[in-house]
Amino acid sequence: MVNTSVRLAQINPAVKLTAHLMVMLFLMMIADPATSALLWVLSIVIGILFGGWNIQYIIKRIVPYFAFFLLVFWMLAAFGKGEHIVGEFAWFRITEEGIYNGLTIAFRMLGFVTYGLLFTSTTDTTQLVMSMIHQYRLSPKWGYGLLAGLRFIPLFQSELSQMKAAHKIRGFHAQGKLKSFARYTLPLFTQGIRKAERVAIAMEARGFDGAKPRTYYHVPTIRRIDWMYCAFLFMAVLSLTALSFSFGWLHWTWNGSSA
Amino acid sequence: MAQHLACNDVSVRFYGTSSLTLRNVSISVQPGEKVLLLGPSGCGKSTLLSVLSGIIPGTIEAEVTGSIIRPASVGVMFQDPDAQFCMLTVGDEIAFSLENRAIPQHEMDARIDTAMKQAGLFVPKDTLIETLSGGMKQRLALACLLALEADVLFLDEPTAQLDPQGRHDIFSLLKSIAASNMTMIFVEHVLDGLIDWMDRVILLDATGSIIGEGTPQDVLRQYAKEIEAAGIWRPRLFPYTMDKVSADPSHPLQIAWRDSLEQSKKRAQAPKQKRLDICNVRDLTISYGKTNVLEHISFDITEGEWTAIVGENGAGKSTLLKALAGLEKGRQGNIYIQNRPIRKWPTAKLYEQVGFVFQNPELQFVTDRVYDEVAFGGRIRKFDESKLSEKTHRLLQEFSLDAHRDAHPFTLSQGQKRRLSVATMLLFEQKLLLLDEPTFGQDEATSTQLLARLMQRKEQGTAIVMVTHDMDIVDRYADRVLWISDGAIRFDGAPYRLFSSEESIPGLTRPLSYEWERRVRNGQHKCPIGTN
Repeated sequence: MVNTSVRLAQINPAVKLTAHLMVMLFLMMIADPATSALLWVLSIVIGILFGGWNIQYIIKRIVPYFAFFLLVFWMLAAFGKGEHIVGEFAWFRITEEGIYNGLTIAFRMLGFVTYGLLFTSTTDTTQLVMSMIHQYRLSPKWGYGLLAGLRFIPLFQSELSQMKAAHKIRGFHAQGKLKSFARYTLPLFTQGIRKAERVAIAMEARGFDGAKPRTYYHVPTIRRIDWMYCAFLFMAVLSLTALSFSFGWLHWTWNGSSA
Repeated sequence: MAQHLACNDVSVRFYGTSSLTLRNVSISVQPGEKVLLLGPSGCGKSTLLSVLSGIIPGTIEAEVTGSIIRPASVGVMFQDPDAQFCMLTVGDEIAFSLENRAIPQHEMDARIDTAMKQAGLFVPKDTLIETLSGGMKQRLALACLLALEADVLFLDEPTAQLDPQGRHDIFSLLKSIAASNMTMIFVEHVLDGLIDWMDRVILLDATGSIIGEGTPQDVLRQYAKEIEAAGIWRPRLFPYTMDKVSADPSHPLQIAWRDSLEQSKKRAQAPKQKRLDICNVRDLTISYGKTNVLEHISFDITEGEWTAIVGENGAGKSTLLKALAGLEKGRQGNIYIQNRPIRKWPTAKLYEQVGFVFQNPELQFVTDRVYDEVAFGGRIRKFDESKLSEKTHRLLQEFSLDAHRDAHPFTLSQGQKRRLSVATMLLFEQKLLLLDEPTFGQDEATSTQLLARLMQRKEQGTAIVMVTHDMDIVDRYADRVLWISDGAIRFDGAPYRLFSSEESIPGLTRPLSYEWERRVRNGQHKCPIGTN
């Protein structure tokens, strides 16, 4: 669900995408749990302040990832290498290094998910494609093709459920995963190609050839507010990193593991 | 005089085929003329339309000989409402037409508004296209074409996938636009509401040559035999009018109406035979999310009974049909098949009793050969091969598919695919056969053939339940009609009683014979001479 009334939705999608990708890249360079956690909290705060998120939304969308968080954490903590043993039971050997790395990776993953969600929950698909065309010089042929393709997703879903019902009545059970995969995908694929062909014909019949000069209904531009958002985001990330540094928590990926 | 739109001695052959799809066709169309291309399925009328509009050979490759003259700007409307859009919202979609013409951005909003108004599309511009009904989607398609400001509109079966109400709306909309001086070229299956305002009809034969042209009246009269033989749906009334037919008791249409009314009445009054129940529905409620699609529905279906489920789009007809096949779970209530709750039937056993024919036959084919397709159910149940082959052969013969027994199901024609999908559901002599719009998109010949087969089955005791929009079929074939409206059964009884009732039946179109009967009945009291 894209909420277009919130402030983050007003930011140019291409700029927003670039900014969030840069923060994600930065997250990959951080190798300590505290800074990673702080940067993750930042994304939640931005979501609440500018993304129109509320507690219900966060519980519904982010909390499910905590299962992943625990899984990643547990895997690295229980099976990771290290010398400082915290506890040992059964075949598990928990080490300080394991806990440290586990928390880092788990928070990094959460951060990725949340910054990604912050982008998708506030970006209209059409605006994104238009912004890619205008700001990143994506060819209209690809841009409009992409938009046309998106319309097929719900169509595929309804066709698949119809086919499953039909096969149930016929008593058809494909032997093996591969066979059932082929049985379902092949007809869907042929139908998909046929539909895609029709859409392409319709688009060309309406004068679209991807090369002619064209005007645009939506022309996303880069405005001051876009730069302001970038500046705010980067400043916030850097201050949190500096804060973490001042407490002596900060560790970069290239400094090797520690603790 | 410079020609407006014409083709001269055009022949078309698609790559990889040996025969011509169109043969030496010459047409000349005057500005503002409305032309209908008519012919049996597969005669090349859509090809001709594509050649005239430039889609062939511009987008679809084919070998084209002869010369074509066309104005600079043309627009094409296609039949599939889901496969002609590339944007997500209504406003963006119309803007796409304007963008392609390089219309300045600041003019777009006003032009979009005009196009939407002309096409009768009164929704907000940011409405998602996927939320529109089929009829509204076709309105949007028209708005997109109007935004192109084309000199010629080509319409390739624009109502083929709409229900009668949607079709009626689109035809009247097109008629209102036709008053402007726009040239329009149509290919269309169903002619009611369209053919009467055409300037010219061009008739093609199965080999792709023009066999006749002229005003609609002339073509329908002169080529009546060819049209019937080719299996083209004829208009229900045109070229006659209700006035004319009513005034003349010896008019063949009036005689036919009187006959059919009498038969329907006789069938409605025939004493009901005591027969075994096959299916009982008790207090069934089905809901999607929080809304109830069907509420407290109860009825019984007996052996050898033909039931038609009718109602407006979204009334819950298909949901009910699916529920009868155990594909939709009720929230409340029960369905019994042969006195056993449907939930208690093992899947394999249930579908030896119940057959279900889907609207899109392709989605239910599971093998690569017509013969195997019919025999499939028996093979997985390990039937005796010789008995199975005997049964399969009988079914293939019954549904005139014997000649295609080795073909791939996907290569069959529309009518054959439909017949095959019915045949596959009769291998176990299923007691209950459910069909979702079995005659949808079929021409008259294939529809009649299919219905005749179903009639045979019915006489052998199969109960037939079908969802349909075609009230003529309901009147002629069904013993009983269930009219679903707002999730409840509004009417349950003989078609004659529904159609001849004094009350209005919103969303359904009465067969013409009943319209005539009402006229006669009311005429005695009110107006002595019918008016239009």
